[in-house]
Amino acid sequence: MATVAPTPARVASPGFISRLEAWPTVTSFIVLVGGWELIGRSLNQPFFPPLSSVLNELAINQAEIMAALGTSLTNLVLGFIVSVVFGVGLGLLMGAFRKLDAALDIYINALLTAPSLVFAPIFFAIWGLERWSIVAVIFMYSTWIMVVNTVTAVRTVSPEMLEMGRAFNAPRIKTWTRIVLPAATPLIMAGIRLATGRAVKGMLNGEMFIAIVGLGKLVKDGSGRFDASLVLAILVVIIVVAFIALWVVGWVDARLTRWLPKTSR
Amino acid sequence: MIEIKGVSKAFPGRKGSEPVQALKDVDLIVRDNEFLTVLGPSGCGKTTLLRVIAGLVPHDTGTVLVDGKPVTGPGPERAMVFQSFALMPWDNVLTNVAFGLEMQGVDKKTRELKALELIEMVGLGGFEKRLPGELSGGMQQRVGLARALAVSPKVLLMDEPFGALDEQTRRLLQEELLRIWEATRTTVVFITHSMEEAVLLGDRVVLMRPRPGRIDQILDIPMTRPRSTHLDSVESSGEFTAMVGLLWNNLRAMHSDVRRARQAGQAAATKP
Repeated sequence: MATVAPTPARVASPGFISRLEAWPTVTSFIVLVGGWELIGRSLNQPFFPPLSSVLNELAINQAEIMAALGTSLTNLVLGFIVSVVFGVGLGLLMGAFRKLDAALDIYINALLTAPSLVFAPIFFAIWGLERWSIVAVIFMYSTWIMVVNTVTAVRTVSPEMLEMGRAFNAPRIKTWTRIVLPAATPLIMAGIRLATGRAVKGMLNGEMFIAIVGLGKLVKDGSGRFDASLVLAILVVIIVVAFIALWVVGWVDARLTRWLPKTSR
Repeated sequence: MIEIKGVSKAFPGRKGSEPVQALKDVDLIVRDNEFLTVLGPSGCGKTTLLRVIAGLVPHDTGTVLVDGKPVTGPGPERAMVFQSFALMPWDNVLTNVAFGLEMQGVDKKTRELKALELIEMVGLGGFEKRLPGELSGGMQQRVGLARALAVSPKVLLMDEPFGALDEQTRRLLQEELLRIWEATRTTVVFITHSMEEAVLLGDRVVLMRPRPGRIDQILDIPMTRPRSTHLDSVESSGEFTAMVGLLWNNLRAMHSDVRRARQAGQAAATKP
């Protein structure tokens, strides 16, 4: 029989549960934070400290962490700016000139898949412990995904739009500034978003494995002493940095692509 | 005046198959201030013909002259309205309508003044700051029409402009287009797959047939102008019904020709 039975459990459920269902991000956050604290306390092991002692560690080393954060953020911003300019720029050129794309495509993909840290010794040999070694590592981490996305963005501009431009006698430059670039912006921004997370990873790896400075140095020191609280405290800081970086990029993206229909966001 | 003489166009077929003859030996003269509609089943080359006149695709043989000058590419005296509207979603209505003038290097103030005038003419006054995504399909095509008219073209090329619209919207826009055309009398080449639309709007209907794409016949539409003021009575007139009936007879004959040719082809292919 195809009669549908009512679901009494749902109807009778109290308001609290349904309120939790309405805020899935808040709920998952509470579960994560509470779970960390509870497991940490009940395990009582140095390698998995509860959240409270991690936060405590954060408070104790505040001055040191803030100084390291300053160094790291400078590296991140420098590396990211260089890689956005180069990555999007090269992507646009490859999108415009098919021969250039054919010539470089395979190497871009190789660099995209290669573990970026293998280039570290080279950078170290060139710049030593200077900041530029880390900037270069960040560059290697974040650039190539932007190149790939930008090429695709340019290639997928709708032919109807390009034909419209031709029909109205758009000069080549205008075709680019008024049609290709705006049409490609959503996908280019998606590439920049992906690159943001990679840049943060690159920053930390660069600081941990080449020039031992910034947050990377603290992680290295902490793990050298088997100080899990300090390592996790830095991890929390890095996650916050990544979130802020993504939020900034997301804000720029939203401003540039305000014209997109809501459903395609 | 547009003079088309002996124009042929073939597109390379998919791998291993024959090239597709989209147009074969097409001769056609489009008179000044004429509203010419082009009708035919899909694959008859009507859109290719329009794109050849627009200069968007090169033709293989023959000549296409617009006011005596051969067409080698798009030109400012021809403007196009697209079936897919092809508006720039990142620009507002005003900027979209002014696009053609912007490409001709007209300064911002002049082109926006002209654009506003046309936005008013197509009945979109007050919507100039809206984005295309906020407008209905009918309103978007009004923007497309205003954009084409803004460059003051000698020839307006319309590629199934109302094909993507629902029936009521299409009807309102037909009325609007006729009203504007009766006021401006720009030469129009209008592609459609609707017999009713072809008869309702056109001074003449060019009927095309497929494989290879060519002109079957050209019919004069006897109904007087202006029509926009009484479209409903035009459509219920005996002349209208007779013209549509005539076109339908021809189209139906074309379809059975095509079917017969296909069957003959199959029979030949299966012969031992």
